[in-house]
Amino acid sequence: MRLHSLTLRNFRGVAERTVQLPAIGTTVVVGDNEVGKSSLVEAFALVFDFPDDSKSKRIADVQPVGHDVAPEVTVELTLGGRELTYTKRWLKNRSTELSVIEPDGRRKTFTGREAHNEAERLFNENVDPVLWQTLMVSQGQSLILPTPADAEPLITAVTAESGTPVDGASMPLVSAVEHEYLRYWTPRGRPTGDFAKSAQAVSAAELRSAQAAKAMEEVVADIRRAERLALDLEDLTTRLAEHLKTVEELRVRKKETDEILLRRDSVRARAETARARLENHTRTRLERERLLDEVARFTTAAGELAELKAEAEKAAKASTDTLHAAEAALAEVVELKDDRRGDVQHAEQRVSELMDRAELDRLTGQQAELADVRARIAAASRVLDGIKVTDSLVAELEDARAKVVEARAALAAGVPEVLVRRLGSEKISLEGTGLDAGGAKVPPQLDEGAELSMLVSGELHVGVPGQLELTVRAGGDAASLRSLVDEAVRREKDLLKRAKVRDLQAARELLRKSDTASAELQEARRTERSLTAGGDPGERIALLAARLGVFGDEPAEEEEEAPKGKQQPAVENVPGQMSLFEEFAEDTFDFEDLVMPEPLAPDDLTGAQRALEDTRAELATAERLLGDAEFAAAQARKAADEDRSEAQQARARAELAAERVAAATAELEAARAVLADEDVDASEEKATAEVEAVLEELTAVQEQVDAAGADHVEGELADALAVAARLQGERDTLRDSLRTTEGRLEQSGRDGLATRQDTAELELAAVRAEHENLQRRAEAARRVHETLGRHRAAAQTKYSEPLQSRIEALGRSVYGPTFRVWLDDDLAVAERELEGNRLRVESLSTGAQEQLAIITRLAISHLVSTTENSVPVIFDDALGWSDKARLRDMGTLLGRAGDHGQVIILTCMPDRYEYVPKATFIKLQ
Amino acid sequence: MDESITFLHSSDWQLGMMRRFLGPDGQARWGQARLDAVARIGEVAERTGARFVVVTGDVFEHNQVERQTILRACEALKRIPVPVVLLPGNHDALEPGSLWTSAQWAAHKPDHVTVVVDESPLEIVPGVEIVGAPWRSRRPVSDPAAPGYAGLKPSTKRRILLAHGQLTSLSGGMSDVPTIDQAALEAAVADGRLQYVGLGDRHSTTQVTERIWFSGTQEVTAPEETHPGNVLAVTLAGDAITVEPQRVGAWHMVEHHAELDGEESLKALADWFAELPDKERTYVRLAADGSLPLPLMSQLEAMLDALGEVFASVEKWPKFWTVRPAPEAADLDALQLSGPARAAMEELRQALAGGDESAGAALTLMHRLARDAG
Repeated sequence: MRLHSLTLRNFRGVAERTVQLPAIGTTVVVGDNEVGKSSLVEAFALVFDFPDDSKSKRIADVQPVGHDVAPEVTVELTLGGRELTYTKRWLKNRSTELSVIEPDGRRKTFTGREAHNEAERLFNENVDPVLWQTLMVSQGQSLILPTPADAEPLITAVTAESGTPVDGASMPLVSAVEHEYLRYWTPRGRPTGDFAKSAQAVSAAELRSAQAAKAMEEVVADIRRAERLALDLEDLTTRLAEHLKTVEELRVRKKETDEILLRRDSVRARAETARARLENHTRTRLERERLLDEVARFTTAAGELAELKAEAEKAAKASTDTLHAAEAALAEVVELKDDRRGDVQHAEQRVSELMDRAELDRLTGQQAELADVRARIAAASRVLDGIKVTDSLVAELEDARAKVVEARAALAAGVPEVLVRRLGSEKISLEGTGLDAGGAKVPPQLDEGAELSMLVSGELHVGVPGQLELTVRAGGDAASLRSLVDEAVRREKDLLKRAKVRDLQAARELLRKSDTASAELQEARRTERSLTAGGDPGERIALLAARLGVFGDEPAEEEEEAPKGKQQPAVENVPGQMSLFEEFAEDTFDFEDLVMPEPLAPDDLTGAQRALEDTRAELATAERLLGDAEFAAAQARKAADEDRSEAQQARARAELAAERVAAATAELEAARAVLADEDVDASEEKATAEVEAVLEELTAVQEQVDAAGADHVEGELADALAVAARLQGERDTLRDSLRTTEGRLEQSGRDGLATRQDTAELELAAVRAEHENLQRRAEAARRVHETLGRHRAAAQTKYSEPLQSRIEALGRSVYGPTFRVWLDDDLAVAERELEGNRLRVESLSTGAQEQLAIITRLAISHLVSTTENSVPVIFDDALGWSDKARLRDMGTLLGRAGDHGQVIILTCMPDRYEYVPKATFIKLQ
Repeated sequence: MDESITFLHSSDWQLGMMRRFLGPDGQARWGQARLDAVARIGEVAERTGARFVVVTGDVFEHNQVERQTILRACEALKRIPVPVVLLPGNHDALEPGSLWTSAQWAAHKPDHVTVVVDESPLEIVPGVEIVGAPWRSRRPVSDPAAPGYAGLKPSTKRRILLAHGQLTSLSGGMSDVPTIDQAALEAAVADGRLQYVGLGDRHSTTQVTERIWFSGTQEVTAPEETHPGNVLAVTLAGDAITVEPQRVGAWHMVEHHAELDGEESLKALADWFAELPDKERTYVRLAADGSLPLPLMSQLEAMLDALGEVFASVEKWPKFWTVRPAPEAADLDALQLSGPARAAMEELRQALAGGDESAGAALTLMHRLARDAG
C-alpha cells in the first residue's frame, strides 16, 4: 500500500487541507501542535472503519466544535496495484464515493455502502492488519517494541528468505508437550505435583518400613537370645545337679574322717600340756641360775660403791669450808664498800648545801633592790596621776594667750581711750558698759586726784553731780571688738581651768615635771623587769630556806613555825648516820684499816668539793675489791656444789646396790623354799621324757590322718559348696534374663510387629511402584520436552535470521559493528549486545529502546517492501528520547529507509529530523 | 481297626500373610479369602463326615501377627464343627515368644482346637492316635519329622503323623534347613508304625506315596504353586486308604508370557485375559517381549491399564518385560508433523534404534501427544 494524498475538510481544527505524499522516500510532515498532524492518521483510520451513517462517538468527536458542518475525508492510495480515490462525508449530507482504477486501467466507481464495503474488502485483502498496526506508530507509542510474529507478509518474507517453513501445525503439540512437562516438572526442572508428592511418600514409607523392620529385627534377636538362654539354662541346671552330687559325697567322707581328727586333737592337746610342763621346768632352772648369779654380782658392786661414797663425802666437806671462807671475805668487802658509798653521799650533800646557801644570799639582795624599785615606780605613778597638763594642752594655752593679746590690741586701736582725772573735790561718778581699764575694775567713784584711763567699747557716763554729765559712746564696731576680747579671755580661762593651773607659766612648769616623772618611771620598770627575769626571788628564797632550814628576811612568825631540827647542820641530820657509828662501836671485826673522814668546814665549798672527789676515789677502790671477792666466792660455791652432788650420787648408788643385794638374796631364798637347788635339774629331765613319749603317739595318729586325707576333706567340701552357690546364682540370673526376654516377646507378640512390618513393606511397595511409574512418565516428558525444545530453538534461530540480520545491519550503522540482537518466538527483539555487553531490552535506556523499536520497524518494512502487501511506516512523533549524536545517525537511517518504501513522519519538532537525507518536508499551517 | 474313619488334612494357612503385588485393596480381599477358605474346610468336614481336622504347620504367617489376625483365625476355626489339631511349623514355631504360648491365643483358642506342643501321642478319637513333631525353632538341627515317630512301636491303634518340612527327595538339595528323611518315613509306614503321614510346608497339593501327602495351602499364595487351594479328605478303611483333594480356595494367581509383535499378538493377549475366570479374584503376572509400532504400544498400555481395574492385580513382570516400541516412518508421517516437531521425533526414533531404552518411552509419549493434539 502506498498513500498519495490525504484531504481533510471540517475535520477537528482543520477547515480544509490536502497533504500530498511521495509514493517512495521519507516525508516529514511538520506542524505545531493542534494543527492536525495526528488528525491525518486518525482520518485515514476513520475513513476505512466507519460508514458515512455511523453514529459512533469517534465520528461525532471529529466535527469541529460549535460548527454544524460535515467532516469529510478524501484519501488517494495504491492498494494491491489498484489506484483508489476514496471520499467519505459523515453527519450531514452523508456520502461515500470510491473510484478504483484496476491495474489493467479499467475504472470502477462505487457509492454509498457499496463503496464502503468495497474499500473495506480491498483494504482487508491487501493490508495485513498486524503489519499495519506494527508499522503505524501513533503518538506516544514509539517506545513499544513490535511483536510481528503474526504479520503474514513478514512470515512469508522470512520463510522465503530462510527457506524454513513456519511450523504452525505443530504449535498444539508444542503446547501439549509443555503441558505434559509441567505436570511433572517446574519450569526450572524440579519435580512437582503428584511426581514430587510420590517421591515424598516413598521416603516416608521407607522410613516407616525401616522402623518396622528394626522392631522386627529386635524381636528376632530376642528369640535367638531366648533360645540361647534356654539352652544355657538347661546345661547349667544339669551341671548344678551333678555338682550337688559331689557335694553330698564329700559330706559323707567328712563324717568318716572327723573321728580320726578328733583323736589327733586329743593327742595334740596332751602333747601341748607336756611341752608346757617341760618349758615350765626349764624356765625354773634358768631362773635359779640367774638368781645365784645376781646375788654374787650385786654384793661385789655394793662394796665398791661404799668406798667411792666415803671419798666423795670427804671432798665435799673440804670444798664447803673453802666456800665459807670466801663468803666471809666477801661480806667484809661489801661492808667496806657500803661505808665508802655513805661517805660519798655525805660529801655530796655537803657540797649541795653550801651551793644553796650562796644562792640564798644572792637572792635576798636582789629582793631588797626590787622593793626599792617598786617604791620608785609608785611615787612616779602618783606624780603623773596628779598632772593634767599635756603638750597639746600647753600648746592650746599658748594659742589662747596670743588670741587675748591680739584681741586686746585690736580693741585698743578701735575704741576711744578716755582719761578721767579728778582734779577737784567734786565727786566724779563713773558708770557705763564696755569699759576696760586695762583689766582693772572701773570704780563707781573716782578718788580725788586719781586718774583713770580706760577703753570704752560701750558707753561711759562720767558725771559730776549737779554739774556735768558726760557720755562717751564708742563707735560702730567697738562692740564686736569687745566681744572678741571677751571670747578670747573666756577660752583662755577654760583651758587654764582644765589644766588646773593659774596661768600659762604654771602650765609649762607642770609639763616639765610630768616628763621627768615618766622618765623615772620607765627606768624603774626596766630595773624591775631585770630583777624578776628569773622568776620571783621570793619563791626561790622560800624553797632554798626550806631546804637549808634558814630564814633570811622571812617574816618573824614563819620563823616561829620552823622546826628546830632544821636549824641543825644537815650532816647531823642524815638518817642512819648515827646507827652507822653505832655499828662501828658494836663491831667485833677489826677496823684499824678503816679511816674515818675529817668533818668538813661548813662554809668551805671548794674544800667540800675536793673531799667529795677523794671519797669517790676510795669508793671505786672498794668496788674493785668487791668484784674480786665476789668472783672468788662464786668459784668456791661452784666447786662446793659439784662436790656435794657428787657425794650425794655416790651415797645414792651405794644405797641402791645394798637394796639390790638384799632383794636378790630374798628372791633366792623364796625360790629355794619352793624347790631346792639340787631338785631343779631332776624335774626338768622328767618332763623332757614325757614330751618325747606323747610326740611319738601324735606322729602315729597323723599318719592315719594323712592316709585318710582327712585334713583336705573339709576344704574340698567348702570349695564344692562355694561352686554350688555360684552355679545356683548363675542359674537364677539366666532364669531371670530368660523371663525378661520372654516377657518382651509376649509384648511384641501382642503388638503384632510382623504384621506391622508386612503392612509397612506393602505400603512401601505400593508407593514405590506408583513413584517409579510416575518417574518413567516424568522422564519421558522431560526427554520429549528437551528434544523438541532444542529443535524448535534451532529452527527459531534459522527462521528469524532474515529479520535479525536486517535489524543488525541497520543497527550497526547507528551503533557500530559490535551491535547484535536476539529475537524471541514472536520475532520480537529480546536481547541486544553492544561492545560484548548483552542485555535484555527491558534493561536498556529509554532512548536505546526507542531507537531499537524504530530500527526494528524499518527492518520489518524493508523485509516486506518487496511484497505487494508492504505498507508505509508511519511515525507520529518519535525520537523524543534520543540525544543529538544519535539523532544524526537515526536521521540517516530514516532517510535511507525511504529508498525502498514509504516512510511518513509527523512531527512538531522538525529539527529532530534535520539530518534525514533526501527527506520531503511538508509544513502544515 | 476295621472301622472306616475320615479326617481332613490341610496346612500352610499362613494367616496374616501379605502379598505386595496385590496392592492394599487386593490384599484386604485376599486376606479375607484365606479365612473364608478355612471356613469352607468346615463345610467339607460336614459334607464328608470327617471326624477331625489336622493342620500340618504354618497356621499363622508369623508368631508376631496382629491381634486381629489371631481373633479372626479363632472365629474361622469355630466354623469347623469337628476337633482340630494344629501343628506349629517353621512360620509359627514353638520358639520363645511363640504365638501358641501367648496369652492372646490362650484367651481366644476354641475348645475343640488342640495344638501339638510335644511328641506324646494324642488319641483324637478312639482308636486313632495322632503323633506330631512341632517345630521348636525356625532353625531345626535335624530331620524335623523324626522326633514325631522316634521310638514308636507298632500298635493296634491307627497312627497319624503330623510333620512339617521339605522332603529330601523334593527339595532337590536346595533347602537351607534340615529336610525330612523320606526313606525313614516310608519304612515307618511300611512296618505299620504309621498309617498316614500328613506333611506341610509345600503349598501345592502333592502325593508323595499312597500314605504320605502334602495337603498344600487352602488358598493360593503365589503363581508358582501348581495345585493350591485344596484340603485332603483322608479315609482309612481297614488297610485301605483313600485321599481326595477337595477344593476350598477361590483365588487364582497365574503367570503368562506373551510374544508381542503386532495387532494379532495384541488381540491374542486380550483374548487370553478375557477367558480367565473370577477376574476380580485373579492376579496375573505378565511377562512379554517383542516390539510394537507406536500406536499399538499406546494401545497395549491402555489395555493393561483397563485390565488393572478389572482384575485383582495385573503386574508387568519387570524381570521378563522387554516390549519395545518400534516406530515406523508411516506412523510418524501419519502425524503430519513438520519442522522442529518432526525433527525431534526423528531424533528419538534413531536414539531408540541405537538401543537407548528411555527414548522408547519418550517416543511413545510424544506420539500420543501429537496424535491427541492433531
